[in-house]
Amino acid sequence: MASVKPSLRQFSACIGCVRRPSNGLKSLDGGSARFLSTTAPAHEELQTETATPVPQPPLPSVPTEAKASTKPEWMQQWGELDPNRVEDKRAERRLIRREGIQPVGSRRRRAAIHRSTMRNVPQVPFEQLPYQCFQEARKFLLDDRQEKLKQIQTQTLRLRNLMAQDPAVSGGPEAKNARVHSMRNHINELVILADINDPVVKKNFEDGLADMNKPIYRHLAQKKWEKHKKLVLDQRLTQMNVVPDILPALDSKLDIDLAFGRKKVEPGEFVESAISEKMPRLRVQSFESGEKLVSVVVVDPDVPVPEKDGFKYRCHFLASNIPISPTKTSIPLIQIEQQDRKVKDPSEKKIALPWYTPWAHRGAPYHRLAVFVLEQADSKPLDVAHIAKTKRNDFILRSFVDKHKLTPLGATLFRTKWDESMAGVMQRAGLGHQVDVEFKRKRIEPLPYKRRTERMR
Amino acid sequence: MNGSAFRSAWRPLKSSTFRTPTALQHPAQPHPRTTPASACTSPFSSTAHLQKRKKGANTTDPRITAIRYHLNHPLTPRPLHFSRTRYLRHWTIHRAWQLFQRKQREAHERHLEAQYNSMRDACEHLRLLDENGLRASEAEAGGRGADAGTLGTRGKEVGRLYRGAMNKRGVWGSVPIEYARGQVDFPGREGWNHGWTR
Repeated sequence: MASVKPSLRQFSACIGCVRRPSNGLKSLDGGSARFLSTTAPAHEELQTETATPVPQPPLPSVPTEAKASTKPEWMQQWGELDPNRVEDKRAERRLIRREGIQPVGSRRRRAAIHRSTMRNVPQVPFEQLPYQCFQEARKFLLDDRQEKLKQIQTQTLRLRNLMAQDPAVSGGPEAKNARVHSMRNHINELVILADINDPVVKKNFEDGLADMNKPIYRHLAQKKWEKHKKLVLDQRLTQMNVVPDILPALDSKLDIDLAFGRKKVEPGEFVESAISEKMPRLRVQSFESGEKLVSVVVVDPDVPVPEKDGFKYRCHFLASNIPISPTKTSIPLIQIEQQDRKVKDPSEKKIALPWYTPWAHRGAPYHRLAVFVLEQADSKPLDVAHIAKTKRNDFILRSFVDKHKLTPLGATLFRTKWDESMAGVMQRAGLGHQVDVEFKRKRIEPLPYKRRTERMR
Repeated sequence: MNGSAFRSAWRPLKSSTFRTPTALQHPAQPHPRTTPASACTSPFSSTAHLQKRKKGANTTDPRITAIRYHLNHPLTPRPLHFSRTRYLRHWTIHRAWQLFQRKQREAHERHLEAQYNSMRDACEHLRLLDENGLRASEAEAGGRGADAGTLGTRGKEVGRLYRGAMNKRGVWGSVPIEYARGQVDFPGREGWNHGWTR
């Protein structure tokens, strides 16, 4: 019965239409906490049992006075900032700065809402708009949804009966497992199909009001990611040979965003060494329900070895036991490090190898810095004190993954090469003796018949 | 894209040019030259008829209007843009229509399948029917495989109606019904399924 739980949970979350309280996702990082996974507005907390989720237009939410009072005087002079109505760039920035929340939806939409509230236009909820064809279409789609819900109910009952069945009756444990698996997949599919035609769901998703605890929003987010971002990421990973160089294969299942402070980094971008001196911020969007424990590894496979005329690996960062879930998307490594400092017990810490600034010699080819997110088996925490003994140099991710039974969930990369700020960065990292080392290309002597002779001159 | 719908209904003013031949065909009509010279619209004048009559000071030449119109309106119409809610409504209707069509198609397929199955069951029943209206065994009945005419151990007694029903002569004129299939230049990759059984 235990294994039936995930799909049942999705089912109940869908049919009951009861939003679960979001588990403090704001705690980690105020700025990016409100993205796809934002918590629902208060009026959407409890949803009725009607076919569609409550489709109210986003109401202006008044920032709480208690919160505003803690802000400095000059910030309070900005006046009331409503995430649904801020229009210009400055107000948006102020909202993010003071309230720590992102503005909702597009600027155009916010402007429209602002205008209509100024003019006191009565707001008709979207799905009650009096257009006949639209209403007929909605009626048809709602009937279909009821049909799907009934199917889900019967399928769940059948699955429950199958789970309770003796494996000998259902043709051996393997056959039974296969059937359970396929039935569960079917139920998951139905759960998606029940909601996929709902315009309010689509609207909420496009507005960034999606609740990632619900399977339909996760499905939509995954489709969106697969349509463009994943393609770009996979292309970069294969073009720059991260995939066969560091790990033999990778099937990305996570949407990973890398940022140094405010600066977002596209996969494969060159990052200035002064910027990459500080630890990055990761936003990891998983599309599967449930919480996972992950390890984050940053590997540089391009450390030059002049004696061997080759390259070797170096580990720049290694942290374990970081919880992620569809709603818990942020991995702020800087904050994790700060928390680690307060912890005395070495096995309680999360960072095994602290951030080692990416650096490259003058004249050497660029370095790829690949960031891997690895899932820990059965969400079991790893022994960080033991992992901390791994050596940075000659770090082989393949054997590390095998040793600790990790599954790669996703990866991204950035690049670094010698730039103006590199000398200072290396000095600060204690690599002063390496600053003056310069790599030069070997001069290849031209072939004898290509040699410019006296006669030719 | 065909932009003809967006062109104006402007036509060159032909009335003045065609007046002369009309006048020639009907000599009974009063000759234009009989009218006083001041009010005369000369058949050789190139000025448009409407232009000549001065109604107001700011009347523009319709030809200029037409030229302006065509200069300012490209043949390609502007792209269709929906507002946010309009797009969502459109999407909803589109999805409902797709779903409706899908359901219709599936219902039709199910119906055809049921029809086929019941016809097949009826034929099977006829195949095993003997002279007394009883059910014969599989060995006694013939007609297995592709050839419906084969006989079983009890010979022609069993499945007489079946053999008659399978006889397709005269269904499509005097030509065998098998020729009713679409005639193609080349035979299929698998011309005849020899291993076919029911």
